[in-house]
Amino acid sequence: MPKRNDIHRILMIGSGPIVIGQACEFDYSGSQACKALREEGYYTILVNSNPATIMTDPGLADATYIEPLTVETVTEIIKKEKPDAILATLGGQTGLNLAFFLMKEGILEKYGVESIGANVEAISRAEDRELFKKAMQEIGVGMPKSGIATNVEEGIKIGLDIGFPLILRPAYCLGGFGGSTVYNKEELEQSLIKGLEISPVSQVLVEQSVMGWKEIEYEVMRDRVDNVIMITSMENIDPMGVHTGDSIVVAPSQTLTSEEYSRFVNLCKRIIRKIGITGGGANIQFGQNPENGDIVIIEVNPRLSRSSALASKATGFPIARVATKLAVGLTLPEVLNQITGKTTSFFEPTVDYCVFKICRFTFEKFPQSDRVINTSMKAVGEAMSIGRNFKEALQKGIRSTETGRFGLGSDGKDKITDEILRHKSKDLTKEVQDKIRIPNDERFFYIRYGLKMGLSIDEIYELSKIDRWFLDNIKQIVELEEKIKKYRNKNVKSKIKIPQEFLMKAKKYGFSDRQLACLLNSTEKAVRSYRKKQNIKPVYKLVDTCSGEFEAKQPYYYSTYETENESKPSANKKVLILGGGPNRIGQGIEFDYCCCHASYALKEEGIESIMVNCNPETVSTDYDTSDKLYFEPLTIEDVLNIVDVEKPIGAIVQFGGQTPLNIAVPLAKAGLNILGTSPDSIDKAENRKRFQQMLKKLKIIQPENGTATSFKEARKVANRIGYPVVVRPSYVLGGRAMEIVYDDEGLSGFMEKAVEASPERPILIDKFLEDAIEVDVDAIADGERCVIGGIMEHIEQAGIHSGDSAMVLPPHSLGKDIIETIKKNTYAMAKELNVIGLMNIQYAVKNNVVYVLEVNPRASRTVPFVSKAIGVPLAKLATKTMLGKTLQDLGFTKEKEINHVAVKESVFPFIRFPGVDAILGPEMKSTGEVMGIDSTFGAAYIKSQIAAGQNLPTSGTVFISVNNQDKRNVVFIAKKLADLGFKITATSGTADALMKNDIEVQVLPKLHEGRPNIIDFIKDSKVDLIINTPSGKITKADEVKIRSHAILYSVPLITTISGAQASVNGIENLIKKPKMNIKSLQEYHKDIKNIYDK
Amino acid sequence: MKSMLILEDGSLFEGNSIGVAGEKMGEVVLNTSVVGYQESMTDPANAGKILIFTYPLIGNYGVAKKFFESRRSFVNAVIIKEESRMFSNWQAEDSFNNFLKKEKVVAISEVDTRTLAVRIRNGGQMLGILSTKGAKKDVLLKKLNEYKQSLINEATTEKQFYNFLYLKNDFIKLVSTKKIKEINGKSGPKIAILDIGILNSFIKQLRNSGCNILLLPYNTNADKILELKPDGLVIPNGPEEDKAIPGIVTTVQKLLGKIPMMGISTGHELIWLALGGKLQKLKVGHHGSNYPVKSPSSYKGHITVQNHSFIADEDSLKGRDDIKITLRHVNDNSIEEMESKKLKFISTQYYPVSPGSDEVNTAFKKFLNIIKGS
Repeated sequence: MPKRNDIHRILMIGSGPIVIGQACEFDYSGSQACKALREEGYYTILVNSNPATIMTDPGLADATYIEPLTVETVTEIIKKEKPDAILATLGGQTGLNLAFFLMKEGILEKYGVESIGANVEAISRAEDRELFKKAMQEIGVGMPKSGIATNVEEGIKIGLDIGFPLILRPAYCLGGFGGSTVYNKEELEQSLIKGLEISPVSQVLVEQSVMGWKEIEYEVMRDRVDNVIMITSMENIDPMGVHTGDSIVVAPSQTLTSEEYSRFVNLCKRIIRKIGITGGGANIQFGQNPENGDIVIIEVNPRLSRSSALASKATGFPIARVATKLAVGLTLPEVLNQITGKTTSFFEPTVDYCVFKICRFTFEKFPQSDRVINTSMKAVGEAMSIGRNFKEALQKGIRSTETGRFGLGSDGKDKITDEILRHKSKDLTKEVQDKIRIPNDERFFYIRYGLKMGLSIDEIYELSKIDRWFLDNIKQIVELEEKIKKYRNKNVKSKIKIPQEFLMKAKKYGFSDRQLACLLNSTEKAVRSYRKKQNIKPVYKLVDTCSGEFEAKQPYYYSTYETENESKPSANKKVLILGGGPNRIGQGIEFDYCCCHASYALKEEGIESIMVNCNPETVSTDYDTSDKLYFEPLTIEDVLNIVDVEKPIGAIVQFGGQTPLNIAVPLAKAGLNILGTSPDSIDKAENRKRFQQMLKKLKIIQPENGTATSFKEARKVANRIGYPVVVRPSYVLGGRAMEIVYDDEGLSGFMEKAVEASPERPILIDKFLEDAIEVDVDAIADGERCVIGGIMEHIEQAGIHSGDSAMVLPPHSLGKDIIETIKKNTYAMAKELNVIGLMNIQYAVKNNVVYVLEVNPRASRTVPFVSKAIGVPLAKLATKTMLGKTLQDLGFTKEKEINHVAVKESVFPFIRFPGVDAILGPEMKSTGEVMGIDSTFGAAYIKSQIAAGQNLPTSGTVFISVNNQDKRNVVFIAKKLADLGFKITATSGTADALMKNDIEVQVLPKLHEGRPNIIDFIKDSKVDLIINTPSGKITKADEVKIRSHAILYSVPLITTISGAQASVNGIENLIKKPKMNIKSLQEYHKDIKNIYDK
Repeated sequence: MKSMLILEDGSLFEGNSIGVAGEKMGEVVLNTSVVGYQESMTDPANAGKILIFTYPLIGNYGVAKKFFESRRSFVNAVIIKEESRMFSNWQAEDSFNNFLKKEKVVAISEVDTRTLAVRIRNGGQMLGILSTKGAKKDVLLKKLNEYKQSLINEATTEKQFYNFLYLKNDFIKLVSTKKIKEINGKSGPKIAILDIGILNSFIKQLRNSGCNILLLPYNTNADKILELKPDGLVIPNGPEEDKAIPGIVTTVQKLLGKIPMMGISTGHELIWLALGGKLQKLKVGHHGSNYPVKSPSSYKGHITVQNHSFIADEDSLKGRDDIKITLRHVNDNSIEEMESKKLKFISTQYYPVSPGSDEVNTAFKKFLNIIKGS
């Protein structure tokens, strides 16, 4: 059936900031959807608060709104843009929920907007636990025994009827958020209270636990004439009990018989029909009893999901693109399969390889949290790998996570050595067994230890319930490792003597050169050269959706060790783009945005683009982003292998975050031409001594500092420059292991951690500039000229990681002279470092002195934010400068002036890590960001707060409790709030200070003093805003409790004075101008052009 | 033991012997399904083939008696990438390796099956010789050419008519039941199956519909069939290029219109031939479980399992108003399902496997309706 011509204007809702459970996969799906809609000629309107996305690039939709994802804002957009339809299935749970509320509140009906992709009935049947259960019963699909609780008593009754253990799932929550497993009545009650509170509709499903069952997923699509296809099956290696987003997953399923497979397919068809999806896709999750094959359905996501992104990348089938086409009325047989270029999308992809997905966790950022994984998702990113067997895919996958591991152990990084394992002490056995039994991020390594200690497959199965098939494959890796060791040399310098055939086998099992070097007592370089001499090189195979049945038109490759290479390099000029790997805190979607732009720029310049990346959630790993895609780990070995085949003129390493930079120097040494700023310049900026020399030469001031490799040295430096000091390792991103220390004791503690973070490089110690204003600058240079993209003033004071701080562009409190100094210094450093491409500089301003904190000659996290604020695609221009163009050639020779204000705000995952203190510091903790854009600071700031989920109140009660240092500054804030009509409450210390300044305050007892205290207020919804600054070096247990309760009960929480000031500013704006202005990016950019023309 | 496969075009693929030792020749056929190795090997339509599984991991879930699609494996040889050394599934009774040995299948693993599949895709389906005995390439290639000559029918008229190249194949006789077998059902119709290689799954579906089944040897003639007074006749799947085909075509010709009939895959091709049509061999056959078919008059269709190398040549049979094409292949537009009210038959080029273990495929339901109506 042809596409619908009764609709012309379509509104798409994005997924907002990156949070745990919702990452770049929705940029991938949203971007594909935008392209697909425009391909079909529809006028496309997009709303998303996340500036770091490709989808919010002004070229992707006709009208792009970077505005908060709320019913109010979207209603305004609907009024203005008058869409005929809304596509809500591509923006994750956020987009779906928002559309659902728009429907429920009658807004869509009022303005005549139809929901396409999934209608309200379909969404309800999948998301509403009661309706879902009824629907599944009607079609005879088994479910775990369960009941819906809308209050605690009801929940306890249901729970006791079913029996423990139980799983609780709050309705309408993403990423299994709030889900928990409970083993007794007490836990049940606690989890019910929590679950009812966080569920937006106050519903919790109390469910029989099927822990230990196999978890099987299918990606299913259906069009409006009822054609149904399965994209792929996926088997979670971690059995039920671990959230699928945290599970290690393999595609296709490995341990299902043909009959079982068909049975699942049949169930999927029945389910997608019953749910009523009439033009789109769904992810269906099942549990299967491994003892008798019994199947229960776990859940259905009637939308694009993380799993569908994975399924797309795993099979080559562009689910988001096809789902969009189906949503506008096309049928599967009408949509071309772009991979083959001649068959249609009405088929089921079949693969001839094994796909492995592994998660990236950041427990190291939250040291107080358990490393245990369960039904509430904690992973911040994921990597995918492809191999011709499971073992190869597994080891490549571990390499891809960039956690410093080069495969499944034997890479010199094992926590427990073979020697210790041989002794099999009682404690160790217990530790290993526990780590195998209780799911955690290191479980696979412990299975390896277990096998080495002599645990049998059956024993490990009983502990972990991980299917024996997977365990045996791991065992095969371990067995081969033992065999390889027989060829171990005594001396590192001896010739390698492993036989050719055996080495080939090791490579087929996925062993990296680094692992082999460890096992053979040699070096990675020596292994590599020996291997090449033996003619053992990887070949590249195609991902083609059809196991070779049809010729593939899209060059999407993975490596393996076999006979024939399918990647035929062209004679064109080509450039390698090294991507950012899995998302993590500190390195996320912003860098993928930059890599995509590099690819677009190369296309515009007529140069072949070759992308290397291993993150399945991204736009960069879409098969049509670059001319060629290599889905490979970003290690020296894997990149050099591609270089050997492709022979590019150079590689771009400054866009993928720290990942490519960490391997830039060895790659350059191995002969790869690094485009743009030279590795030497990068080193000059990162190497503290060389950097200091440069600043001295340029007469630029930096905080007093020094470097150290031991505590003794560090103490000497610290005492010279005076506490407090900031300590950090060199060459890290996201402030990993960075801390502010106030005395020798603190220094000694943090030295240990910091040294662990970067053993080969010294520790940097800086004087900490208390209460300074921090400033971020993104600039672009061509070797001669440097143009600043944006100067951003941080809202939070110095000491808060720049990735966590809110920022405003243009600066709102810096004087002209300060800005001039910043500009002058930026130009000077760009010139001195001979920067070609992007550069980010962090400054601190204190007492009118401009200090430079650090220079990063690479793309920063703020590049997409700045690009969108000023309407200039900085990453694209930077790529062109790397190819030899001057800024003059590119027409970007002067800074843009804008007459709007853009605010960047960060979002945090504290709620996922119970017990972790929700305060900001030099170590980055945020997972994503939003942008608020408006004509004034106050309006832009309030938008950024709303977009980040900080629902600042316009009336009600404020609780204030600040440290002594902040007591003076908080007076003004409290006064303002009182004037705005807020009721002020405070603990005695803060209250004294406020009362002295004639502010009416209700005094609340401290937690141990009596009740009702602030915790009771929080629980009873009697407080609407909390301002609580941490009391310095040692935080009090009381404070932590207050902050974590605020997070748990979603009370807006502000932990810095500067943040409080900005918030009050925003609240005032909100009271005076309650109606939100909306304006598209395209309109803002048009205005910039106008100013510029004048 | 180092083993090798050599194709007609001389290309050589190395691997390790994992089944019984031996030397086998046959047509090399790809199967692109990710599951179903046991079912595929015991599908009589694959008799005499050298079967390549493009999915690289085989044997993961072992084998079990209940997954046999016929009494044994009829393939000449199997080629895979990696054999699973352990099997894991609650239904598994034995390992893939023991299955190979019990079924006496010559098999090799560690083959770059991806490259092999691409070679077949580009060069078309061809014959191959597989040896686990360390023979020389030239010797094997010579043997293969001699074998090819021995298969090629010199009687050019028949060759032109059927477009068969290997008409000396004699597999139907091998796979068919030797004598009439009765499988009693409930009160349903009596269905005769001319056994040229029917799958157990199809028998199961007929039984689920309450049918009484008469399994007939492939060479049962038309008179004998009429004498048995079945309510309907199924011409199922089976080897496609075979000595027995011309005889069966005659039988079908005599019965068309007289008994309600259902053709499946090869059976569908036989009905086409009986109608006077010709067949055409695909460069690469349809062997897998992801083939889309749809109604010619709408966008509605479904995904099917298929296992055939020939299709009906539509140019050879025109102007038959009494035959209605009800489904076509979405990609190459070939006939996937046809019906005739007048001649009382339905035939499917695809395998009408059941959508669920306890359900019956629509094609069977249509067939039973034809029986009811006549």
